Amino acid sequence: MSRPAAVVGIGQTKHKKKRDDVSLPGLVREAAQRALDDADLTWTDIDAVVLGKAPDPFEGVMMPELSLADALGATGKPIMRVHTAGSVGGSTALVATHLVQTGVHDKVLTVAYEKQAEGNAQWGLAGGRSGGMGAGGIFAPWMRSYMTRSGAPEHIGWMVAVKDRRNAAKNPYAHLQMPDLTIEDVKESPMLWEPIHWHESCPSSDGACALVLTTEDGAKKAPHPPAWVLGTAMRSELGTFPGRDPVRPQAGVECAHEVYDMAGITDPRKQCDVAELYVPFSWYEPMWLEGHDIAGPGDGWRMVESGETQIDGEFPVNPSGGVLSSNPIGASGMLRFAEAALQVRGRAGEHQVPDAKVGLAQAYGGAAQYFAMWVVGATLDAVDQKR
Amino acid sequence: MECVLLRPVPEPPRTTHTIEFPYTRTLGPVIGPFLTGLRDQRILGARTPNGGVLVPPLEWDPATGEAIEPDLVEVGPGGTVETWAWVTQPSRKHPLDHPFAFALIRLDGASTGLLHAVDAGSMDQMRTGMRVTARWKDERIGHMTDVVFVPEAAA
Repeated sequence: MSRPAAVVGIGQTKHKKKRDDVSLPGLVREAAQRALDDADLTWTDIDAVVLGKAPDPFEGVMMPELSLADALGATGKPIMRVHTAGSVGGSTALVATHLVQTGVHDKVLTVAYEKQAEGNAQWGLAGGRSGGMGAGGIFAPWMRSYMTRSGAPEHIGWMVAVKDRRNAAKNPYAHLQMPDLTIEDVKESPMLWEPIHWHESCPSSDGACALVLTTEDGAKKAPHPPAWVLGTAMRSELGTFPGRDPVRPQAGVECAHEVYDMAGITDPRKQCDVAELYVPFSWYEPMWLEGHDIAGPGDGWRMVESGETQIDGEFPVNPSGGVLSSNPIGASGMLRFAEAALQVRGRAGEHQVPDAKVGLAQAYGGAAQYFAMWVVGATLDAVDQKR
Repeated sequence: MECVLLRPVPEPPRTTHTIEFPYTRTLGPVIGPFLTGLRDQRILGARTPNGGVLVPPLEWDPATGEAIEPDLVEVGPGGTVETWAWVTQPSRKHPLDHPFAFALIRLDGASTGLLHAVDAGSMDQMRTGMRVTARWKDERIGHMTDVVFVPEAAA
């Protein structure tokens, strides 16, 4: 048995290099309070809390679901924590959704965060060992491999970087505000991990995101239009095994097809009005367009080049500015899910895609091995109306 | 058979590395003033909506999650021991280098117990319900260890 679930509250913090104006509990409460306000609910209305974040060594606060329980209003209520590396914000939202869909709880608050400035994310990513090569070092050869395989010219990465930073300039919560960034600036910025230049890489941010998920009945009582969850999927695979294709991981392909099938999507490129994809390095936009079968092999970069993924294009990708503009790692996946929901609710402000009815969100993590995706709609039959 | 070393083995090179990974904490609008208060010999608590006073203070009511207005109130310096445990062999990180009690101390004006150290000299000086008071360090840095508690009779 499954019943519909809807997003009725969305909140996020201002994302910054260092949020030294708030404590760690204060940061997560800032996002959660905004989500509650959006849903016109109070802390006591919530039945259960689902918390997500990336590795605990990032802040050195171990098992934070315990110490943050009362800060998240969970005294005497169920609270659980999710951890699936960089995809965690997405997986966390999905766990909260499933608690509503399966009838376990009626109103679930879900929160994801990272306060990276309290520690050293590079060290945390290396599992507490020194000498890690960083996420960019792991992904760079796969991006180069994509370029070789698809014949994509180098300027595609620069175009993605400029597009996402210009979108972020319309989003007051985004960390990087670079409305005037040019292709030339990206091209001339220092090379970090070939082929990734400085401006093609995500920042390191402090930030949090929160959602309130509820039932059909709860959605009727909400003050603002809901975003209906039409499909959910999670997949993972080992980070290394013989024959693995890290450019187009099988887990990502299967995750996408499961979420499309559940939502009734037969042609994502035509039937989705907007997509938020986890793009921490510019090349991941065309790689995921192909890796999730939105574009055919070698067509992902052509979608970028033709302007199709611009905010006013046929298939807008990352109108929020994406991970390239704000990256509090544990929250980054939920920010994708939140933006897709904001878009179909018509509440995205300056970065609203006109008339968005179906939104796709994706988060990935680890060595491109953990995937979480959802499809949200302005109505329960939003996809049907696209066919 | 005997092995003869033709050349003396040189002393292997040595370097010293201190492995450390410091975290920084941003304290926010409530714990920040609380710790600054300790530096100024004041112990501050937060009022909850139902009239309680939390020490140490929080930004939220732990019972409900509701935000608390960050107007802190001074409590103590005296208080009552609610329960205690004697530490016979203090470790390197304990607040005192000789035997002491960890105690839950309900400071005058507070509605919660503060976990802190009582420098009572010997275990037979400790009892639940006893009165204690703050003893401040001469050099205070805005840290929980700026203060320890002592039996009121000894103060």
